[in-house]
Amino acid sequence: MKKVMIGNHAVAWGVLRSRVEVISAYPITPQTQVVEALSDMVADGTLDARYIKVESEHSAMAACIGGAIAGVRTFTATSAQGLALMHELLHWAGGGRLPIVMANINRAMAPGWTIWADQNDSLSQRDTGWIQLYCETNQEVFDTTVQSFRLAEMVDLPVMLLLDAFYLSHTSEPVDVTEADVVDGFLPRREAEFRIDLEDPRAFGALVRPDSYMEMRWQQQEAMQRAHGVLREVEDEWERLTGRRYGALEEYRTKDADLLLVTSGTITSTARHVVDTRRDAGEAVGLIKVKMFRPFPTEDLRAALAGVERVAVLDRNFSPGHGGIFAEEIRSALYDVSAEDRPTLYGYVLGLGGRDVTPEVVEDVIDRTRRASEPERQDLWVGVEL
Amino acid sequence: MSDHRKDFYTPRDAGRGIPPIAISHASTLENRTGSWKYIRPRYEDRVAPCNEGCPVGIDIEGYMHLIGQGKLEEAADLLLRENPMPAITGRVCHHPCEDHCNRLSLDEPVAIHAVERRLGDMALAAPPPPRPEVSRPERVAVVGSGPAGLACAYHLSRLGYPVTVFEAASEAGGMLRQGIPEYRLPRAILDRQIERIRAAGVEIRCGARVGRDVPWSELDSYDAIFAAPGAHLGKKPRIGSGEAIPGIRPGLDFLKEVNAGGRPDVGERVVVVGGGNTAVDCARSALRLGAEVTVLYRRTPVEMPAIPQEVKEARGEGVDFVFLAAPVSASAAAGELLGVECQRMELGERDDSGRRRPVPVDEGRFSMLADTVLTAIGEDCDLSFLPEAVQTEWGMIRVGELNESTSAPVFAGGDVVDQPRSVADALGSGKRAAIGIDHFLRRRAGEELEPLVIEELRLGGAGNVSATRYRRDDPVRRESPVNEVVTWAQMNPNHFRRLSRHEDRFLSAVEIRKAFGEVNFGLSAKEALDEAERCLNCGVCNRCELCLIFCPDMAITRREDGDGFEIDLRYCKGCGLCVAECPRGAVVMTREDL
Amino acid sequence: MSQTIIRDRIPREELLASGHLACPGCAAPIAMRLVLKALGPQTVVVLPACCWSIIAGPWPQSSLRVPLFHTAFETGGAAASGIKAGLEARGDTKTTVIAWAGDGGTFDIGLQALSGAAERNEDIIYFCYDNEAYMNTGIQRSSATPWGAWTTTTPAEEPESQPKKDIVSIMAAHRIPYIATASVAYPVDLVEKVMKARFIRGTRFFHILAPCPPGWKTGNDETIDLARQAVLTRVFPLMEVEDGARWRFTAEHPGDPVEPYIRRQARFKHLTDDQVAHIQREVDARWQVLETRVEHGT
Repeated sequence: MKKVMIGNHAVAWGVLRSRVEVISAYPITPQTQVVEALSDMVADGTLDARYIKVESEHSAMAACIGGAIAGVRTFTATSAQGLALMHELLHWAGGGRLPIVMANINRAMAPGWTIWADQNDSLSQRDTGWIQLYCETNQEVFDTTVQSFRLAEMVDLPVMLLLDAFYLSHTSEPVDVTEADVVDGFLPRREAEFRIDLEDPRAFGALVRPDSYMEMRWQQQEAMQRAHGVLREVEDEWERLTGRRYGALEEYRTKDADLLLVTSGTITSTARHVVDTRRDAGEAVGLIKVKMFRPFPTEDLRAALAGVERVAVLDRNFSPGHGGIFAEEIRSALYDVSAEDRPTLYGYVLGLGGRDVTPEVVEDVIDRTRRASEPERQDLWVGVEL
Repeated sequence: MSDHRKDFYTPRDAGRGIPPIAISHASTLENRTGSWKYIRPRYEDRVAPCNEGCPVGIDIEGYMHLIGQGKLEEAADLLLRENPMPAITGRVCHHPCEDHCNRLSLDEPVAIHAVERRLGDMALAAPPPPRPEVSRPERVAVVGSGPAGLACAYHLSRLGYPVTVFEAASEAGGMLRQGIPEYRLPRAILDRQIERIRAAGVEIRCGARVGRDVPWSELDSYDAIFAAPGAHLGKKPRIGSGEAIPGIRPGLDFLKEVNAGGRPDVGERVVVVGGGNTAVDCARSALRLGAEVTVLYRRTPVEMPAIPQEVKEARGEGVDFVFLAAPVSASAAAGELLGVECQRMELGERDDSGRRRPVPVDEGRFSMLADTVLTAIGEDCDLSFLPEAVQTEWGMIRVGELNESTSAPVFAGGDVVDQPRSVADALGSGKRAAIGIDHFLRRRAGEELEPLVIEELRLGGAGNVSATRYRRDDPVRRESPVNEVVTWAQMNPNHFRRLSRHEDRFLSAVEIRKAFGEVNFGLSAKEALDEAERCLNCGVCNRCELCLIFCPDMAITRREDGDGFEIDLRYCKGCGLCVAECPRGAVVMTREDL
Repeated sequence: MSQTIIRDRIPREELLASGHLACPGCAAPIAMRLVLKALGPQTVVVLPACCWSIIAGPWPQSSLRVPLFHTAFETGGAAASGIKAGLEARGDTKTTVIAWAGDGGTFDIGLQALSGAAERNEDIIYFCYDNEAYMNTGIQRSSATPWGAWTTTTPAEEPESQPKKDIVSIMAAHRIPYIATASVAYPVDLVEKVMKARFIRGTRFFHILAPCPPGWKTGNDETIDLARQAVLTRVFPLMEVEDGARWRFTAEHPGDPVEPYIRRQARFKHLTDDQVAHIQREVDARWQVLETRVEHGT
């Protein structure tokens, strides 16, 4: 079933198809169409779920945690300030190994007030134990929503799927909504490995002493590592059912490229267009789209980037006092690559607070990267005029 | 647990078995939190103050406890172990137990006497208990069938001795029959109660006054003798010159005549001299013969030895009391008494007994018309029948702690020994002597017995001895009993409701004047049960379970047999809430043995 | 019996195990024990951070014989809502889900989530056991700390300057179907209220005073007596509020003077007689308000 829909509705359709049982959410621009659509679906019975209309994102996540420990499939959606408010509970979900799925509409953090896209909100939650999947299109949003539940429930980790404010959330695109029976086969009802069970009463989350805490965290780390392979399996099956797959990493026209762009989110589409233009002009430029930020696809990145001369990382985010966050992570991943194969990496911070990253901006990035003798001492902030 | 879950909880690498999240698989029962404490609670049953206050030595709290459990027969049995005549004491005892009752600190004492009376009447209505087996070869003689003699005989019989009681009068009962008026103690009750004592194996020979009908030498054939002949000689008052004046007679003689069924003519105005129970009994009896009665007492109401309740009843019936006055002379004409001249008194210095001595007030003379004057200023004992070896002092027989006289195997009790002259004290002395005689005879028979520690037999250490303790067959489970009276401060009154006392029902004053029928109807069965429920069970665990309910550590559990509790010291942290919240002071804190 | 024998009115089932880690004489386990007796085994406990996070025992232990979910400090109302929704989603409508929070988790940091749950009339029972300060962290003041009290953050030179927050009125303003105050010193009242609440649908709120020996600076064996005295002095009246409108007292409140209650707690030892008199006036004024509500049903 093909429909033209905005990204937020693609999320809602994914939730519907996933037969989520408990939803708890709090409205925030630019997420509102997600919760509005879900409200309609629950109200008219399309979706047989309990929808807890909480008084804050914090409670939304707490309620999802409650639902998840009760053994059911849970979902929430938020953005920026709301995500930040959830912070403590993101740890609770991650460390508690609860397979909650959340859609976060990537929006810049205040102050000053902003509602437009950048990734600092979700990247600030990097270490909370959530798998992070950055989407490029509404179709990917729909597919990733469904896949996220499967992935989460297989590794007992929460999944945050991410879509750029307005560029996806409010932009209409055609989406092939997979039929319910297909999704049902792909994603059966959740059978929790551990949950509240009146027949077998247990305590969850009690005080853990130093002699055992690390063992639990190690298993969390192991699960994160396992998620690489599990995502591949999930995508294999999804591809078999729908013909669509995305990968933790997508390599686009990278063959024999001497310069690779690295992007995430909707900038990827713009970069794709520019790469096509340059390739048509005979320039050996390629593109790496990073979809999965956590667990970080280190091995895939090394394989994709080793031997390339120059790599330009486009970050719609930054870590104050450091640099573009994807750039920093990739630099770190490349440290173990031998010196002769290790590419020179150029970091670009751009598009913060929803500023347009036009094809011209991407062209500029490519040109600067080619011109540069060596990288700047810090990532280059593109288009900043004081 | 399904298989996949089992897999989750068990170690994946067969290592230390640490799961991916903090999910419990054990209980805090692993933590022996009892190691935190330095003090530990202990159940210790103490003694209720009423028990110590009872001259008979009755486990009052014990039978109240059994009543509370609905075990009425067991309650009556416990009572009968200590008191051979509860139907009588329930009516006539001055019940000092009630003066000791802790409820005084809360509202009003439990009407113990009324509960005892109900239990006593219930026991009388039931078939008599089986006659105790005679298991001892020794025989015991008892002189006098008053409360002391009957009690001693009863307890000895229960201890397995054949006992013979020698009674001078034609009917058994002593002062119970001769001294106590029928309106206080109906003869039917007395007769049935004595019948019960006979049924308990006691032989009573009436019309057998020792020293007259039976020579002392005949008693020598018995292995032990208990002398309780009572005090039957009314003291002579000094009114006027001391010559016999018609119309002035000893009150005790008058009482005996009335109690034997006589209805002497006392005229219209009777003056009774004295402040004891005999005086009050005389006054009320004379009232019933149609006279206007005035009691003259030389001290104040506070010093009156008579039972306050009796005084109150007498007043209610119309007896007039004149205090701080004493007769000094009488006037008579033509062989008939006209009246008495009286002297007003005031209280002076304290005498040897600690009471303030009455001294005459100047110009304080007044006269009273009287057709009869009944003197009731005390009674003496006739000890002429005793052999010399039995020493006396102040006209009474000298006895030791178990009422042994100075000459074995003679024991003595009741009004012939130096103790308060009450039915209860008489019963108590009889029991002490019975225990003394049993111990004496067993030792004489060669049994190796430890010396009796009488304090351990005395309830609370200062009360009377307990036959149950002597026989060590208490039917109530005691938790580490401590022979100390529990104090009000040791109890927690917060758990008690105030409940007003049920007062006995009385015949109306109009009807009283007409007859000698019982005036006090006591309480109904329901009211008596309600009174029993007012009992606080001071010092004794009654399984109320507050300790268990308030224990923050679930360290207190019911014993398997359901009777009492155990403290699991592995978990008790020594907080002391069980001690603080025990309503009756039956849990105490002790130092932890380190 | 002039002592009301209550043993047959307290269910015998024990759902709390010995060996828990409460301080000696702590009221919190007594309250939990009584509540679980009233609710029975088909109960889930949601436990935001509080003393009970420790009392319940460290991993791998649990002192409860019912499922227990430890949750973040401020999330009692929300996490319980989620668990209830999750159980219902799978067809379990019978299990009672309770949040069990201290005064900090209720009056302060958890108030928002509690208010949210109450406003949504979530089908949960929220219990606040109130020991009148942050005791688990070492006796810091909370908005439940009474006026004049010493805590480690309100030293005797500058003791608590604000009156205790009126949580019951706050909850009554949510017009939830049932609110009760309860005391460990009145176990039957507590148990019967919980049994009653168990069969009411919607949000039910309990405020249980839980004296804390180390925090109140009182003897370990005084817990029950303090809780009782709090009722008798009207410092902590026992009552029920139905639908936020019908107020009712459930015990006798003779109005004993507060001074002995205050003076026996060393956390108040710095108070002058005038200050104790001030507390008395506050208690009297509050009582008048409550009496009016009871009389007029609002």
